[in-house]
Amino acid sequence: MKILGISAHYHDSAAALVVDGVPVAAVQEERLSRHKNDAGFPLHAIEWCLDREKLDPGDLDAVVFYERSMLKFARILTCTLRAFPRSWRSFPHAMKNTLGDKVWVRGIIASQLGVDRKKILFTGHHEAHAAAAFLTSPSRRAAILTADGVGEWATLTAGSGARGDAAGLQTAETSISLRREVRFPHSLGMLYSTFTAYLGFAVNEDEYKVMGLAAYGRPTMVDQVRRVIRRTPDGAFTIVPEYFEYQTTATRSYSSKFVDLFGPPRPSYEPIDVETAEGRRFADIAASVQRVLEDTLVDIARALQQETQLPDLCFGGGVALNGVANARILAESGFERVFVPPAPGDAGCALGAALYADRVYFKNPDRDVPDHPFWGPEVDAAHLARAAREDDQHVDEFNDAALIERVAADLAANRIVGWMDGASEYGPRALGHRSLLAAPHAIAMRDRLNREIKHREEFRPFAPVVTAEAADRYFALPAGGARLARFMSGVFPVRSEWRAELAAVTHVDGSARVQVLERSMAPRLHALLEACGRRNGMPVLLNTSFNVAGEPIVNTALEGYSTFRRCGIDVLVAGPAVVTKRATASAKPATEHVA
Amino acid sequence: MSAGTRSAPLDRLLRPLHKWVWSDHDRRVRKLLIFGAVETDGGRDILRASEVTPDPLLRRLYLEHAIDELHHGVLFRERGEALLRQRGLREGGLFSGNPLPGGHGLDDLVVEDQGDPRLLAFLHIAEKTAAGRFAIYKDCVADDPATLAIFEKVLRDEVFHMNYSYQQLGRLTPELQRRHVWRARGTRLWNRYLRVAAAIAGLIGNILLTGMYFIVLPPFAWAARRAERRETPGWRALAADRAASPTSQY
Repeated sequence: MKILGISAHYHDSAAALVVDGVPVAAVQEERLSRHKNDAGFPLHAIEWCLDREKLDPGDLDAVVFYERSMLKFARILTCTLRAFPRSWRSFPHAMKNTLGDKVWVRGIIASQLGVDRKKILFTGHHEAHAAAAFLTSPSRRAAILTADGVGEWATLTAGSGARGDAAGLQTAETSISLRREVRFPHSLGMLYSTFTAYLGFAVNEDEYKVMGLAAYGRPTMVDQVRRVIRRTPDGAFTIVPEYFEYQTTATRSYSSKFVDLFGPPRPSYEPIDVETAEGRRFADIAASVQRVLEDTLVDIARALQQETQLPDLCFGGGVALNGVANARILAESGFERVFVPPAPGDAGCALGAALYADRVYFKNPDRDVPDHPFWGPEVDAAHLARAAREDDQHVDEFNDAALIERVAADLAANRIVGWMDGASEYGPRALGHRSLLAAPHAIAMRDRLNREIKHREEFRPFAPVVTAEAADRYFALPAGGARLARFMSGVFPVRSEWRAELAAVTHVDGSARVQVLERSMAPRLHALLEACGRRNGMPVLLNTSFNVAGEPIVNTALEGYSTFRRCGIDVLVAGPAVVTKRATASAKPATEHVA
Repeated sequence: MSAGTRSAPLDRLLRPLHKWVWSDHDRRVRKLLIFGAVETDGGRDILRASEVTPDPLLRRLYLEHAIDELHHGVLFRERGEALLRQRGLREGGLFSGNPLPGGHGLDDLVVEDQGDPRLLAFLHIAEKTAAGRFAIYKDCVADDPATLAIFEKVLRDEVFHMNYSYQQLGRLTPELQRRHVWRARGTRLWNRYLRVAAAIAGLIGNILLTGMYFIVLPPFAWAARRAERRETPGWRALAADRAASPTSQY
């Protein structure tokens, strides 16, 4: 059975193809369109998925959209009505925005792909999140928690899942049962996004900056945060509407009462200096909302564990990108293992929707899903070598063993390496196939990466990647920590004795968002880590996404090459090809006369 | 003003208006920040062109062009932010409307859909227009040496961009060079018309929807608020048999 999953129209569109119960292709639209967080209908991604399997749209058995668009429209309209007459400004925008195309999803899919309308199916938004988290995990039975900004109405759901045959019965069907939900406007995702906006960062993109900033602050304003989000007697939470405006307008998420409580917001153009009183105030606010988010999630997860008595938790939705909260859930909720998929956000819903349809709607037998994130386009090393030679760059080609030694030598010499290997990652993290790699030891390397490539704020840390065999030596991983770190989903302490030697990847609070790499997941990167370990005793590298600020992670060899050419990357690797940067003559004359 | 960076007649006619726009601190900041965003977007489009062209020389030129545009974006943004820090913006906010169109942008260009000749013709026209306008802006900010220096740098680069794009167009299609340029002018004009038409349609839509909001919605709003009051905070149980039809959008 061939099922195409689609997520689109809000942020981070994507498509995923499931054939006979197993994913064969999945990619975010932004990686192909080259527009970061592309929310448009993912035509490039769909075409690529179908081309990869040499399918026509007519060959598909079903096309599944990741949410029920009319239900979402009903929520938007209802919220606008509730805010009458204050919502008069946002009403025309909301109606044009949704009635323009978002509610006509069935027609759009039918016309764009030319498929029979009867083949077009829908899942609930949080059911897609739940499926993406549970059906891609190796767990047979698990509690399921999903949390994001908002789907149709739900912002957080709790339930459980069981794969077919979990009880040893041949006929048992896979089930995903969401038992309860918290509804908009009460939303942990929107709470965090509101503070993201208040702190001068971009909503739906820069939430991880709040998490990074939180480590510089102390949670001195937890009481104030708890005045805007209160716990309910049943263990859930409710936001206090007077402090927020996201439920009534799309232009501002917090109210003047919120500003009265927390003080003036940070202008986005002002750099944050945590040495100043104002910078510390913002860091304290970030730490406070982070603490409240963690406490709330831990309580909800603990109650779910006690209710289900299951050892595994599958956690999906955009909030599951918060690695600090994930680590606390693992440590404090009673779950032995926490699974967060590589794409827990809306992009991952394309795969979740396709898997949900396969297992739940069509009741197909359960199949194990390969435990890796590499579902995107393959890199073509020949393209890289040709383009680099045409540009008079130095290109070498090696066999695998020689290449690994050569790159390890480059890293030991403090060169920054652009590393492209095989299929690209599905999800926001670079997990070893489209990565920038560097030595993790010196603060100077972090500063150089920031200055010459990433242009990040100083308070944001870089992440390490370590072999699974050596992970415990350098990082204090709790039981289940290595699993959570498989897709860089948890933040854990760097062991104190190694912090000085891992200064480029150790955050100010001594933690790191580490990726624990098993050989089977990315054998070449694993071999490279081992080669680095043989040289300096530490099979650890700094691993950050292969892109520059504001751009999607590179996908093709030529995108990697153009990034390499215009920033401070020293060496570029794809397949057997290694390109070493050398200065090229500018095509631009010193003086210019008009043609 | 450099030879060949003559402004369009309309821009020359609007010079007093441009002077008025640039004379105000808030509007100057807003323009610079908008230029920053536009140049960055344009740079990314040209970067895309460098990644998809099969022509090695064009790949190098596009890449150099893209690096220039991205750098211009940084210069404009940093200057805008510096002015903002000098004196906070007055009431009205940063993005309360663009007082005048500026920069060149790339008109939502889909690079993959263009052949190199069409793209080069388009770039030539866009850069020429931008160079003419920047020449006027340079005169308007003579009182502000830091901003003036940015415009001088950008103007020099724009001249290179309009020259190389024209020369490469001649290399690729010598016999159709002028036709491509005229076609690019026509496309640009058509896109402007579409933007104006869409803006007018949007305005009419807003008026109609706002009217509907106040005339039709009040009873429904009353009912919605009444229903909201009955909602209890916290968890909401989901029925085990609630599964909606797979084909339902509700």
